[in-house]
Amino acid sequence: MSQLSVKHLLGIKDLNEQDIQLIFKTADNFKDVINRPIKKVPSLRDITIANLFFENSTRTKLSFELAEKRLSADTISFSASGSSISKGETLIDTVNNILAMKVDMIVMRHPNPGAGVFLSKHINSIIINAGDGAHEHPTQALLDAFSIREKYGDVAGKKVVIVGDILHSRVALSNIFCLQKLGAEVMVCGPTTLMPRYISSLGVKVEHDLVKALNWCEVANMLRIQLERQDIKYFPSLREYSMLYGLDKKLLDSLNKPITIMHPGPINRGVEITSDVADSEHSIILNQVENGVAIRMAVLYLLAGRADK
Amino acid sequence: MKLLIKSAVIVSKGHPLNGKKTDILIENDVITSISNNIDIKDAEVFTADNLHVSIGWMDMRANFCDPGFEHREDLHTGLNAAAKGGFTAVALVPSTHPPVHSKSQVEYILKNTQGTITQVFPMGCISQNREGKDMAEMYDMKLAGAVAFTDDKRPVQNAGLLLRALQYNKLFNGLVINFAEDKYIAADGKVNEGITSTKLGLKGIPALAEELMIERDIYLAEYADAPLHFTCISAARSVAIIKKAQQKGLKITADVAAHNLYFDDSVLENFDSNYKVKPPFRTQTDIAALIEGIKDETISVICSDHSPLEIELKDREFDHAGFGIIALQTTFATANAALKNKVKLEDWLETITRNPRKILGIEIPEIKEGVKANLTLFNPDLNWELKPEDIVSKSKNTPFIGKKLNGKPLAIINKGKFNIC
Repeated sequence: MSQLSVKHLLGIKDLNEQDIQLIFKTADNFKDVINRPIKKVPSLRDITIANLFFENSTRTKLSFELAEKRLSADTISFSASGSSISKGETLIDTVNNILAMKVDMIVMRHPNPGAGVFLSKHINSIIINAGDGAHEHPTQALLDAFSIREKYGDVAGKKVVIVGDILHSRVALSNIFCLQKLGAEVMVCGPTTLMPRYISSLGVKVEHDLVKALNWCEVANMLRIQLERQDIKYFPSLREYSMLYGLDKKLLDSLNKPITIMHPGPINRGVEITSDVADSEHSIILNQVENGVAIRMAVLYLLAGRADK
Repeated sequence: MKLLIKSAVIVSKGHPLNGKKTDILIENDVITSISNNIDIKDAEVFTADNLHVSIGWMDMRANFCDPGFEHREDLHTGLNAAAKGGFTAVALVPSTHPPVHSKSQVEYILKNTQGTITQVFPMGCISQNREGKDMAEMYDMKLAGAVAFTDDKRPVQNAGLLLRALQYNKLFNGLVINFAEDKYIAADGKVNEGITSTKLGLKGIPALAEELMIERDIYLAEYADAPLHFTCISAARSVAIIKKAQQKGLKITADVAAHNLYFDDSVLENFDSNYKVKPPFRTQTDIAALIEGIKDETISVICSDHSPLEIELKDREFDHAGFGIIALQTTFATANAALKNKVKLEDWLETITRNPRKILGIEIPEIKEGVKANLTLFNPDLNWELKPEDIVSKSKNTPFIGKKLNGKPLAIINKGKFNIC
């Protein structure tokens, strides 16, 4: 199989395991490419990609832009803060305007869940969801799983805990779907106020005690506390959050076995993990960043291929 | 008018001819004869396959958006939708602009709907400007013709205000209606809090938001010794709480929107904002409890909760889309489908005929010789499909377009007028 089963990448929910494995295999090749002296391939020459970021992003945007450039695509980028884009017609109109300039693919980040699905009903171009509210962030989940695969050879059977604000996290949701499709066991860990009430219905274990969670897992994905997505206070202070859910070297050393530490970035150093953990040999945080480019190249390449057919 | 209805099965609980097929002759606006095989040469004849007749249907809550939001619906188009949906009476929520919070707005509505085949019964606000702060002039509105008082989907959060409204309404036999949703629990929720909201990353409205306010309001109604009606309940536990209060002898009544009996929250999987309603679609467990509530009469009214919205407010990102669907034309079919084989037609038809009138203190029509004809003719088994061009509302926000529906009103008769649905 050399083709994805989907036209857009709106969420991991829509992918099957073969799709994910195909993306991984393709990313393996692109990872070789980006480690060569000449890091560029002509695969997407003549393809124009618009990066529409209706919500702040630094690393995802850079990662996509780099992936696009490495594939020789033509790119344009648009950024707007969430507050100035709150009307539906603005979204459709903005996108239609950009499409009128003959754009083939759209990479979109948006503060509202389902924004990518909504857009896919209105326009013809290929859409890649770069994060929609608390819904999905599929390329992040793919690069996370890819990084686990790289470290352990396989994702199946691995025990992965996702720690932090599960309620507002698209990374958590996409990770749960992705890891489960690949046969991993998933646990979520965080404060009771930041845990969706029905999360266990997704087939994940739920744990509120960080020490227990870390002793259970092989991989811990420490999410960033997304203060910007919390309209009300779910815990009294970052200090107290850190007391309950912060991972420091002492805690890491006290575990019954070495574990791998991941973080989707950007890190609030000293809140969810301390610097000595982030920079330790257990951390694969920077590998995730590198793999992010390869994964996004793979996704762009495979979806663009579908466009030709 | 001289109209002969041929071979119609009467559906009217307690009526001597309930379930029997008969002819009904209407001359001018009065039923002059009910018997088999009436043969009148000069009468217009109406008949149809599987024809049924009941007293005219009443919808206890619809929004006609007039004045203020006439681009969504106005009194004229709203009334067309009601007539097309088989209703000869409709009570209107006061969330217009300005809201119906003084007698002028009540008078505006009544003046502009005089003589229409579907009679309008305006409801007034509990609070001035529907702000939930100070009481509106409910007595004056009642004198002008308001049948009940509600702040519509902006529930009274302030317990003190609701208590005073309940106490004050006792002075003039007014009825207070509250939509139960605690805003601090519902927060900025968009859909039912459940498995679907978790999967979609959409903010959930827990059933707790409704249950909590119903509990609170029942305490207040008991304290005030006043009647209280809950509109648009949606959760299983709400039914249980209300049932308990009724068993205790409190004057608590409740209604449910037909679509909340029909859809559960799994329809949201594709972020289709035509399914975004308030209260949100909940689960099959909730639906089963609501239906049980209709069966045991804990819930005595099914309403349309007709809420027109322009396309610009619906066809947008789910979070920003408005709540509500237009429903008058599909209310009967929706309820009929949800209740088929579960509640007898003659039983649940009470929820759109006698019960809303009883609660609002409106005269109940009868099917007998010598009274004014106020009737709905329908076929409870007719299969049909809602086409976009059939929609007479100004707005088109309905998930039912293109869906197979079962059960349809065929015609209404009221005030000497006859209207094909």
